[in-house]
Amino acid sequence: MALGETGGAAMSQLRPSIARYATARVNANAPAHGLSGSAEYDDEVRGRAVYSVETGLSFFHLHAEGLGLILFFTSTLVASAVPWRRARAALYVLLTAGGLFPIGYLVYGAGALELGRDAGIELAERWVLTPLGGAAIAGLIALAVCLAVRSRHAAPARADVAPPP
Amino acid sequence: MTPETTWRLPPVWVLLVAVVLIVCAEVGGASMSRFKIELTRWARGTMLTRPAVHGLVGVRDVDERILDEALVKFDAGLRLFHMHAEGMGLVIIATTTVAATLVRTAPARPVLVSLLTVGGACYPLGYLLWAALIPYVGLERGKALAEWVVWIPFGGATIVALWWLTGVVALGLVRR
Repeated sequence: MALGETGGAAMSQLRPSIARYATARVNANAPAHGLSGSAEYDDEVRGRAVYSVETGLSFFHLHAEGLGLILFFTSTLVASAVPWRRARAALYVLLTAGGLFPIGYLVYGAGALELGRDAGIELAERWVLTPLGGAAIAGLIALAVCLAVRSRHAAPARADVAPPP
Repeated sequence: MTPETTWRLPPVWVLLVAVVLIVCAEVGGASMSRFKIELTRWARGTMLTRPAVHGLVGVRDVDERILDEALVKFDAGLRLFHMHAEGMGLVIIATTTVAATLVRTAPARPVLVSLLTVGGACYPLGYLLWAALIPYVGLERGKALAEWVVWIPFGGATIVALWWLTGVVALGLVRR
């Protein structure tokens, strides 16, 4: 969340510097971006690359704030409501890995600059966003299953101790 | 946090501030949608009474483009208030709970909790201020005012407090 806040502030205050840096990196990696030497076409390519970087930073800010909170609340739920030690450990690993998902958007922005827009985005999606996002989804589904199993076990126990009407 | 310890609640005023902020966000989002036409009409009317501020020249084609851009930003300001107020309400609850639980030293805890609460609660109001200022003082001046009056001091307070809290949590992990 601290990274998310700082990223959001940097995105807002350093927007012109980020755009300048992104443009310089696109020029430095001309073959990766397919710059042709035609000013009109190249400007469009640069514009798209800069937009991808800004989108990556914006998504990083948004997801880092949101997933920080999700990790906080779900891990508290795991600690409070999942009684099985190994299940708890596995859930912590999955949810914490899922909490790193926003870093994928930094890779998305950096990859779009260094490898070209499509190759960079594909790299981020395949190697960072999909595995970490998958871990978050798996963790949340597993938590839901644990809660369902626990509530099934708890229901008969509650019925046993319920006072007579 | 040791296994036997549990979360400690932050002070009730902090929770109240967070809940009121979330309520404001909900009401803001609902009003934005319900009164969209009225809000747009008000903003447009106010801008038309201040042509010099917005660089309106009296040529319809030029003026409409300027007004459209300002109205898009006005709408964006309201939407960003809704989104940030919802988010920061939750951020306040989560981070002050962590601070109340893990920061044990007496002067540090209330300072940290206050920074997180005041910074987090006031920061989204900057978007509301920005939206309200656009029709009166224009896009750039409105943004600069919101930045210096709200975003930089309160956003800065939140960032400093979050990194401070990060340091405390990391130090706790190292010491264990």
